[in-house]
This record gives sequence, C-alpha cells and structure tokens, in this order.
Amino acid sequence: MNDVMLAPARVLVTKIGLDGHDRGSRIIAAYLRDAGMEVIYTNPWQAIDAVVALALEEDVDVIGISSLATDHLLVPKLMVALNAAGLGHVRVVVGGIVPDEDEVDLLAAGVSKVFHPGAVREEIVTEVEKLAIAANKERPVD
Amino acid sequence: MQEQTIEKPGLAARLLAGETAALARAISIVERDGPTVGKLLKSIQPHLGRAIVVGFTGPPGAGKSTLVNAFIGEMRSRGKTVAVAAVDPSSPITGGAVLGDRIRMAEHTMDAGVYIRSLASRGHLGGLSASAARVADLMDAASFDVIVLETVGAGQSEVEMAEMADVRIVVSAPGLGDDVQAIKAGILEIADILVVNKSDLPLAKRTVSQLNAMLALRAPGDWNVPVLSTNAVDRTGLCDLADAVDRRAATRKMKGPREALGGRTRRLLAQSVAKYVEHSILNDTGASIDEVVLQLQQADIGLNEAIAKTLEQLSESLKNG
Amino acid sequence: MNKIDKPAKSTGPVAQQAASDAWQQNYDAMIGEDKTVKNRSGIKVDPLYWPADDPDGDYGDKLGFPGTDPMTRGIYPTMHRGRTWSQRQLIGLGRPEDFNARIKKILASGASALSMIPCNSVYRGIDCDEVEPEILGTCGTILNTEEDMDLSLADIPIDKISIGLNDPSPFTMLAQMLVVAEKRGIDWKDVTGTSNQSDYISHFVANHMFYRLSLTGARRMLLDTATYLAEHVPNWNAFSIVGQHMQQAGATPAQAMGLTLSTAIQYAEDCKARGMDPEKFLERFTFFFDISISFFEEVAKFRAGRRIWNNLVTERFGVTNPRAKRFKFHAQTSGCDLTRQQPLNNIARVTVQAMAGILGGLQSMHTDGYDEVLSTPTEDSAKIAVSTQNILKHEAHLCDVIDPLGGSFYVESLTDAMEAEILSVIAQIDAEGGMFKAVESGFVQEMIGASALEFQDQVDSGEQIVVGVNAFQEDEDASARPILKRPPKEHMARQVENLKEIKAARDPDVLSKALGDLRKAAQSEDLNIFAAEIDAVRAGATMGEIVKVLRDELGFGQPLVVA
Repeated sequence: MNDVMLAPARVLVTKIGLDGHDRGSRIIAAYLRDAGMEVIYTNPWQAIDAVVALALEEDVDVIGISSLATDHLLVPKLMVALNAAGLGHVRVVVGGIVPDEDEVDLLAAGVSKVFHPGAVREEIVTEVEKLAIAANKERPVD
Repeated sequence: MQEQTIEKPGLAARLLAGETAALARAISIVERDGPTVGKLLKSIQPHLGRAIVVGFTGPPGAGKSTLVNAFIGEMRSRGKTVAVAAVDPSSPITGGAVLGDRIRMAEHTMDAGVYIRSLASRGHLGGLSASAARVADLMDAASFDVIVLETVGAGQSEVEMAEMADVRIVVSAPGLGDDVQAIKAGILEIADILVVNKSDLPLAKRTVSQLNAMLALRAPGDWNVPVLSTNAVDRTGLCDLADAVDRRAATRKMKGPREALGGRTRRLLAQSVAKYVEHSILNDTGASIDEVVLQLQQADIGLNEAIAKTLEQLSESLKNG
Repeated sequence: MNKIDKPAKSTGPVAQQAASDAWQQNYDAMIGEDKTVKNRSGIKVDPLYWPADDPDGDYGDKLGFPGTDPMTRGIYPTMHRGRTWSQRQLIGLGRPEDFNARIKKILASGASALSMIPCNSVYRGIDCDEVEPEILGTCGTILNTEEDMDLSLADIPIDKISIGLNDPSPFTMLAQMLVVAEKRGIDWKDVTGTSNQSDYISHFVANHMFYRLSLTGARRMLLDTATYLAEHVPNWNAFSIVGQHMQQAGATPAQAMGLTLSTAIQYAEDCKARGMDPEKFLERFTFFFDISISFFEEVAKFRAGRRIWNNLVTERFGVTNPRAKRFKFHAQTSGCDLTRQQPLNNIARVTVQAMAGILGGLQSMHTDGYDEVLSTPTEDSAKIAVSTQNILKHEAHLCDVIDPLGGSFYVESLTDAMEAEILSVIAQIDAEGGMFKAVESGFVQEMIGASALEFQDQVDSGEQIVVGVNAFQEDEDASARPILKRPPKEHMARQVENLKEIKAARDPDVLSKALGDLRKAAQSEDLNIFAAEIDAVRAGATMGEIVKVLRDELGFGQPLVVA
C-alpha cells in the first residue's frame, strides 16, 4: 500500500463565521510548515462557499477550521457544501473551543477530528498527516 | 488504490472545457512532475498561445500581492479573465511552507473569472521555472486571458521564473532599506516595467527618479522601460500599468513567429540548456574540459574555438551517457 | 525583667557581603541542578533578592508616594483603601431583555459598574437579519438599534453607573446609548464610562474580531468621536487603549505593555496634531490589560507601566496636570491561562490573576468564569468570579494597604527590569516610525507571532507545566462539564422579527436624509462623523446601516494577517 505522499500535503487553514481570533491558527500553520506541509492560510470570516472555492482551487487534502466562539456550529453546513462540490475526499478538522455535546454533532456530520485546547504539536501533526494520506487515496480518479 | 498514475484523457478535456477542479488537479500533477505529465501537456498543446503571462516580482514588503489584487480588478473591469500563480519559498529545512499571498486577493475568491493558486517553490533548485512555465501552459489552455505569475525576491530563481513571463514587472516600494539596490542587477536586466508602489509615501518620487536615472545608463533598445507609480490600495496608477502591459505584450508578439511560437517554451529551453552547460563546465572533473580551459588560458586557442570544442566535448559525454 | 543581651549587630556592608557570599555557597552546595529561570518577558529571575541589588535605590525618584510623580505606587493618594476597584464584569447575552435581567442580578450581587458586550455579529458590522441563525446571539447581546439599547438598560440609572461599552469603531453602541439618555432626559454631562476597545490599532494587530473599518478610516473616526465627546460628553473616556489583545495573541507581558504605551503615544500625537490640548485629552485616556498568572511579573508590569506613562507624558507632551498623568486601567484575568481539563482548577487560577491585578493597582477588573474555555460562561460561574473579588477584598483584606508589595527587594528589582524591557519595545516602535506605521508594515504582528510560538513550544515541551494539560492529568468524565444553554432559536427568530418591524416603522425620508448626511460627513474632513452618526441613530438608522455607509466611504480592507 502506498502510504507515502508524493508531494507535501496541502492544508487549508481558515476561519468561518464571526470570530476573528487567530493566535491558534497561526500556531497550527507554523506546526504544519515545520512538519513539511504546505499551508494555504487565509484571513478570518470566510463564507462557506468561499471555503469550498478555496479548497477546490488549491486542491487541498485537509481543511483546518479554527473556531473560538460558536462558529463551529456552521461546520455541518460546510460538510454538506464540500460534498456537493465533489470534495468529499477532503478531510476536515476543527480546532478551538468546542463543547463536548457539539463535538458529537461535528463528528456525526463528517468532521474527522476535533482538537481542544491542550492538544500538542505532535498529536496535531501526526493526525493531519494521516488524514492527508487518506484524502489522497480517496481523491477521485482523474 | 494506489496514487492515481493513469490520467485518462478526461482530465485534459475537462480542463479545456473550463472546469476549475480539473485545472486545480492538473496543476498538482504537473507540480509533482510524475510520469503522466508528458501526456497531459501533449493533450493541451494545441490550445496554447492565447494568454499573456505577466510576471510580478520584487523584494518582500513592496506590496506585490496587494498590487496584483488591484491588477486583477483592473483586468476584470476590462472584461478579461485572470489566473494567478503565487509562488512562495518552501523552507529549505523542513520542505513546508505557509502560503499567504492570496490573503490580499480575497475579494476575488468568488469571481468565476478569476483563478488563484498558491504554490510553494518545493526546493526545485532550478526546475522552478519549468514548473512555472507548465502551470502557465495549463492556465493558458483553460482559456484565461491573463496569467499572473507572482514571485517574491529578486534572486536567480526569480529571474529565471520572470523570463517565463511575456511581460515582466518588477515592483519596489520606497524606504525598503536599500531602495533601488533591492532591485538587483539581474532582474533589472529583464524587467519590462518598473513599478514603484505605495506612491503615497514621501520617498516615492525619489525612488522613481533613481530608477529612471539607472535606466538612462542603459543602451536604448526596442522597448523603453517605463517607471510607473502606483498605490495598490486606492488603485492609483493601475490603468497606466494595465495599458503598459498591453503595449509590451503587443510588441513581444510583434517580434515575429519566434516569439509567438512557444515563446516561453523557447526561453525555458534556452535557460535550461545554459544552466546545464554552465553546471557541466564548472563541475566537470573529466580531463576533457580541463584541457580546453588550459588551452584557452594559455591563449593557444581563441574564445570562439574554445566554445566550439566545449560543446563538442559535452555532446560526446551526453552520447556516451 | 531579664533583658537578654543580643550580640552586637554586624550589619555593615562588609559583613553583609560576607553573609551573602556564605549564603551563596550554601545555596550552590545544596541546590543540585539549578536551571536558569526566566519569566514570560524573558527576564532572568534569581533565587533571592536583597538590598544590595539596588544600592542606589532612591525612594523619591523611583517610587515616591501614591498620586504624585512618578506614580509607581499608585495613581491616587488613597487607592483601594479609599475606593476599591470597580467590579466591571463583562455581560453579553442574546436578547436585550436577557442582558437586562442578568445586569440587574450582577449589580445586586455587588458589582458597581457594567461592561456590555455585544454579539459577534455587531463586531462584524451586520444586523441580525443578515446573520446565519446558528451563530446569532451566542456570544453577546444583539444591539442593532436604539430600542435594543433602551431595553438592555431598562431601569438602569445611566447617570449613576459607570458603563463600559465594548464598542469599536464607529462606536454605534455609544451613539445609541447617548440617544437613549437624551430620551430619558438625562444630561450628557452626567454620563460616565468608557468606550472600551476604541483602540483600533490593537484590533488591526491582534483581535481581528473587533476590526470594522480600514486602518485610516478608524483613525479619522476615533479623532472625530474624541473631539465630539470632549465637547458634549466631557466625563466619558473616549480612549481605551488595549494591551489585552496583544498579550492574548502571544505578546509577552513586557511587549504587551510596551506596544500599548506606543499606541497611546500614537493617539496622543494624533490628537495633538488635531489641535487638542494634551493637558485635557490625556485625562480621558484609559488602558485595558490582560492579567496572566505570572503573578510577580504582572504586578511589576503594572507598576512599571504607571511609572513609564507618568514620565512619558511629561517628557513627550510637557504635561503638568496631575490628572493627565494618571495611568488608569481596567484589567481582565487572562482566559489564555485557563484550561479545559479539570476546569474547577480555573477558579484558583483566576484568584491568582486577580490578586496580581489588585496588587498591581488596577482601577477596574473583570474576573473570568471557570468555564471560560468550555463555552460562553454560565450564570453560576459568573457569580463565582464576582465572589472571588469580594473574598479578596473583604476576607483577604487586600485593600487595606496601598501598594503592599512595594519595597519587596524582588518586586522593585523586577519592576526596574520590566521597565527596561518595556522601554526597549517602545524604542523599537519609535524606530519604525510610530505604532501606526509599525502595524501597517507587519512589524508588530511578527513580534507577537514569534512570542506566541515560543510560548507554545515551552508548553509543548513541558518546560512550562500546565496542570491537567501536560502534567497531573486525570481521566475526566466529560458529562461533568457544564452545559451552556444557548438562546432558544425562537428568541433569536423573534429578535430578527423585531428588527424587521422597527425598520418598517421608520420614516424613510428622515432616515434617508440622515444616512446621506452621514455619508457627506465621512467624505468631508471638515465635518464630524460622530455627530452625524448620532443624528442617524435619532432617525432610526441601525448599526448595520451606519457601518455600511462608513465602510463604503472610509474603506474596510482587511486586517494585515502576517502568516
């Protein structure tokens, strides 16, 4: 089985909804870059269809959503939109302040992993790498 | 299933039909330079030659991305579609990169007439311009009118990438420390248009004068390099910039079939061959080139003869593997 | 009575030095592996401090007395012994009437001032009828119209209570509140409070959530508003200069203080350039800081800040009015130090942070709820947060002595060291041409980002222990975590309906003229935008409508995100 990526993983790191705190997403971007991945980093307040457009244009493997307030409540809508755009293979992770009951909903909606405050570099990087490989395997045959 | 190595003609066809996902996918494939690239490029070959490629480069802090953003707006208002390849350096240590150029171009995300792709240099070490040329070809085949190639810096790789463009714009801003020194000689040689961005800053006029003074020292050619003043934030000067781009693109095409026919491919070939030859001569450990050097040193042969002999030697080595 | 003859004192300098050397020897012999300890600002912390650390210590020069130069020990002669800090708890709940109910409870439980925080949609500048319903009202109160403000403050005596509005450019909440006061027959001269978060530079740099207008547009807006308030609402603090965002974004405490003071210098210069008198406008400058759990460092940070500000306004602006030299600040315990794991531990953390703020001499404080990291705080946790302050005040008697840590060899040494560090940050910003230029270029953002990464590395590596996170972990029952009740969907839907009704009931001609005048004011440098904004609120314009006009004219752009 080919578990090796032939190119660096491409990860979109972004924020949706209303919040604008970006300390977390900047640190994640640095983690992923240090692990050899390519991070497409955006400004906050992306609309759902903008995230889909970005993921499409940049042919990303993973989308990382940083959420502080309650913006994670919009993620299920994002999952639906990604599927509709033929991006079902793209993995989505959410990081930030997410109450436990909401985490259950996110995972049910198709989010691969929710990272809470206290998650460490190694854990995050390993998981994202795994997900990028999985996304690559599932990419529709051209 | 293993990595998709067999590209059905479907991808090329979809790209030619204007499907964003296909273009995005094709760029990924071309970036990786796998075995399927040749076939892909062959499929799109008949559809090339429409787009003009505009290169933007310059030192960090000059406001290139903001300027490109304004340029896209100007092109769109003229009814042109635009594709952008924004290249940033990968970390030489980790191989990763944070690609943030498109942050400044956020207003165009939802415009179907604009395609933006963030690319990392991936330590290509000289193959970067080939990659850039191929990406430009894909965008050309996807029917974009204008292709923007944005790179940061003014070093050797950037110069080589800039040569892939039909119109090369070098952007600087006043007060970037070295002012005009930031625009190193190499990039200045091939620049078609010099832009001084952040024209609202007090030193802007001085930077424009300095650049004009430098250009005046050049031998006159068939194109007078204009020095333009822009303010990417309020869009001052963008109209002039777009007009200058049009004029330069026209003169390049007018040069005759040599330019029109695979202009950037020709330049890519010239660049690559030159690098190969240079690398071979400087790193050659065999006796053959050494001998030519010695003969030249001792004035036993003239320079022209030395060139001929060197090429012969290299040709022999290539034949013999 | 037997008098025990004590041995003759041998405390001359030679003897003391010998004693110190002896201690050092014993220390070295016993300590084993002694790692260098540095605080968050990078300052080395020694095991012991004693008078020799500051041989030239001049009490008058460096410390003095509370209320006079250099203000190190406090900005008022009486400090907390005379008047304790204001308990200014942040409150923000979905509907105006919910907010009103919670405010009344908080005031009844002892808080003496209030701090209103609106829904994130207000920060984005969009009215509730344009927001995705899932995220509406979950983090703050929806304040789109003057009616919303009126409801929020029902039965609250605006003229008797100090009100903090978390209200960034273009200050629609303030405009709404002033119109409400006017309708209630309250003289604006009796309205006291602060435009919290009026510091647009801090939003551009660090808390993008509050970013509403372009950098240059916000600059003009703040100056217009300050000018208007100086004349019409003289007891309102227009300037709330924020160190919290930068520290929460990762700046070290010294950097956060240095950058904040640099911002204050920038605003003071802008005001002066407008012809305003420093002796007057500096009286209306207030500050807002984060308090981390690095206890002594925070105390030293505030003491150093007071001293530096006092000297700075004297040197750079020639100020002699003592009220214009006062470093008044509100502080909030830092949510960044709180953990999701074993959340009840956060009560202890907040207590330590609050102590640092009190002993640092703050004027007003908000303490976080222990569940801050889980979701928007519940009512119970908010009560505990207020009780914490009351316990520190009444049971621990922290108010009885002014600057009680003053004179501690360590604290004085650390105050000096923090001062040096802070001044070096200010010097770096000066070299960049001032704070406005330094944030335009991304210089400040890079500084903060580097510090954030460094701190994260320390936590990741275990060098900085966080109880429950990278040490002393426990398996926890997730169901034990408090569940926040979000505003019921029907409430939010009703709020949206309300807005539609209010909009429909307005006189369209009056409204249209008012918005037109607002646009004209923004286009002309000679008109005051805030004055036009108040007229617009009187005419029934909503927050979203006002923000839209101003964004059109003054620009929106994007905060510079340095990747």
